[in-house]
Amino acid sequence: MEKVFIDGLSFAAPLFIMAMGGIYSEKSGVTNLAVEGFQGFGAFIGALTAVLLMPSMGDGSQAVIYIAMLAACVGGGVYACIHGLLCVKFRANQVISGVVVNILAVALTTFLTSAINKVLMGGSQSSNKFILGVSDRFTVPGLSRIPVVGALFRDMYPFEIVILAIAVIAWYLMYKTRFGMRLRACGENPQAVDAAGGNVARTRFIAVMISGALSGIGGICYAYSISANFSPNIYMGYGYLAIAAMIFGNWNIPSTAAVCLFFGLAKSGGYQLCLSMGLSSNYSDLFMMLPYILTLLLLTFFSKKNHPPKAAGEAYDAGKR
Amino acid sequence: MRKTQENHRFAALLDSEKWSGISIPILSLVLSLITASVMLLILGKNPLTAFLSFLQGSGFVPKASYGGGAGMLTDFFTFLNVLAPMMLASLGFIVAFRAGLFNIGISGQMMASGFLATAIIGYSGMNAWAAKPLVILVGLVAGGLLGAFVGFLKYRFNIHEVVSTIMLNYIISYLTGFFINARFADPLTRSMKICSNEARLTWTNVQIAGMKCSVPLGILLAAAAVVVVKFIFDKTVFGFELRAVGRNPLCAKYTGIKVGRRIVVALMLSGMLAGLAGVTYYCGYYNTIVPKALSSMGYDAIAVALLGNSTPIGCIFASVLITIFQNGSNYMSSTLGVAKEIASLITGILLLFSSCGGYFRYLAHRKLEAARDAADAAAKAEPQREPAVPASGMKEDK
Repeated sequence: MEKVFIDGLSFAAPLFIMAMGGIYSEKSGVTNLAVEGFQGFGAFIGALTAVLLMPSMGDGSQAVIYIAMLAACVGGGVYACIHGLLCVKFRANQVISGVVVNILAVALTTFLTSAINKVLMGGSQSSNKFILGVSDRFTVPGLSRIPVVGALFRDMYPFEIVILAIAVIAWYLMYKTRFGMRLRACGENPQAVDAAGGNVARTRFIAVMISGALSGIGGICYAYSISANFSPNIYMGYGYLAIAAMIFGNWNIPSTAAVCLFFGLAKSGGYQLCLSMGLSSNYSDLFMMLPYILTLLLLTFFSKKNHPPKAAGEAYDAGKR
Repeated sequence: MRKTQENHRFAALLDSEKWSGISIPILSLVLSLITASVMLLILGKNPLTAFLSFLQGSGFVPKASYGGGAGMLTDFFTFLNVLAPMMLASLGFIVAFRAGLFNIGISGQMMASGFLATAIIGYSGMNAWAAKPLVILVGLVAGGLLGAFVGFLKYRFNIHEVVSTIMLNYIISYLTGFFINARFADPLTRSMKICSNEARLTWTNVQIAGMKCSVPLGILLAAAAVVVVKFIFDKTVFGFELRAVGRNPLCAKYTGIKVGRRIVVALMLSGMLAGLAGVTYYCGYYNTIVPKALSSMGYDAIAVALLGNSTPIGCIFASVLITIFQNGSNYMSSTLGVAKEIASLITGILLLFSSCGGYFRYLAHRKLEAARDAADAAAKAEPQREPAVPASGMKEDK
């Protein structure tokens, strides 16, 4: 039972920050299917930084993780510029642009990983992995002794706290600041923003970059927890799951957080259930389907009430009325 | 002066109704080949050798040496084997895209139909005359049902097709993975037990001109599908209605087209084509399925459709091109020693440029307009002189 909470939370937190990335982009009026690519590329930059730093800072050093997270954040943000350029400046179809950015990210990171490994190892045998290791865990004293829910505070990854802090800042930025208001207006009625003196293109571009930065953090967190390395396996489709969480959470940060937590618990709960029932590992595949099936099922009830940003998916056209 | 005139001819070529369908993809291709060349130069390889070896790997140009029993035709038929599902998948995307829908779930639909066809027909031991049509039928039905389900979710529950297809992709991937591991796994390879040769849509080891070839039936299916799709869109009321729904659903609704039903049917057709692609891929080119490994073809097909201007004829050329890169990458990698992932990188860059195609056309259009305005202004200002060749004031409008 404890395991369900611990694993659930460590899965939900990165998913949530990626979903938040999606929210930033879509609230500004840019449909974002590129979260998958953003997180992969961010994780790649983060892992590369970590691999380069590890010899000088020591293999087990935890400081490397934070530097890697920062690098992943920057890397994701920079890579997101491609999506921003295509959607905002080049007026490409935003869904297609998202798919393109994803394909490019997979190709680019796979190619670069083996190329860089070749240089680093010096040999002809090149692997397509950066070995990272797993982040340390810690337990919050006091809170962890609460029965049942206390498990949420046991064996936590430090990045969960970081993500929580970022989430609060991101929420504040989106709902309580002038910039956030403009950003949301860009997704609803960009013409009005333009009339009020805002710059739609710039706001959207910044939003897409924030989206990339947040997704990048999510990616490196997965690399440091679930897989313990960076390889093309990072493209497991969690980016798409984040998009589903965002839609399910009605493009709203607090409710998306709840949905992500639900996904995380459903996933780890299913896995633990499978173990406790003594089924063979084959059956875990069936339980892995749970979040996706639940999403589809619940969307049939909720999607009529969903309120996607009105202008999402269209390039801004100043002359449109 | 002369330079600007040439510029204008170039712009006119990009913006004309007749030529922009060809000129813009070619421009994207040239730009991406240039980018790829730069990358290869940075890696210290000769780009021309690289492009040549892509062609050699796909059987268009003879290689330096061949293994026993193999030859140029062998490579070419392998190329056709990959080309067939690629064309079918991209046609599938086009059908939905013309109706304003994004079928991101082609990979999943391919896997589901390939799995069902192998499981139902591939192990049944039927003779070839019964098995091959049945495999095709299963592919059509499985893909069509999945597509129609996505359409139904959209029509009835307002679930965006991008979301539902992505969810279905994962569900199919895990579900087939479970069944393969539980029942159909080959103990040695851990992938699905191979589909029988009778049911397989490719004849292997056929001797043509002394070379061993794998002849795909799928390429005929793909050619037929191109004709059918083109016929539906250009010559039938139904195709016109689909296009109307894609252009402007509200307007289509106003003219009395039942938009919801058209959406369901468009996605069903798209799924059927994806299903065909699935059986030609998993029970043709391959004869097995690796569990939980969705093929990237479903996404590449989007690229192909985009590059081919989402027309059936365009998608023939586009899929030939992309398949050359993907299929030739092994040989290229072995001759040049560049990781074969560079092929997908080139595909990605090609995609990047072709998704800017609309912008290229827009730029050309603006440029022509500016030139026209300048010419008009010049003609108005100096009516006595003959109208000057437009030269001034046509700075590229960003």
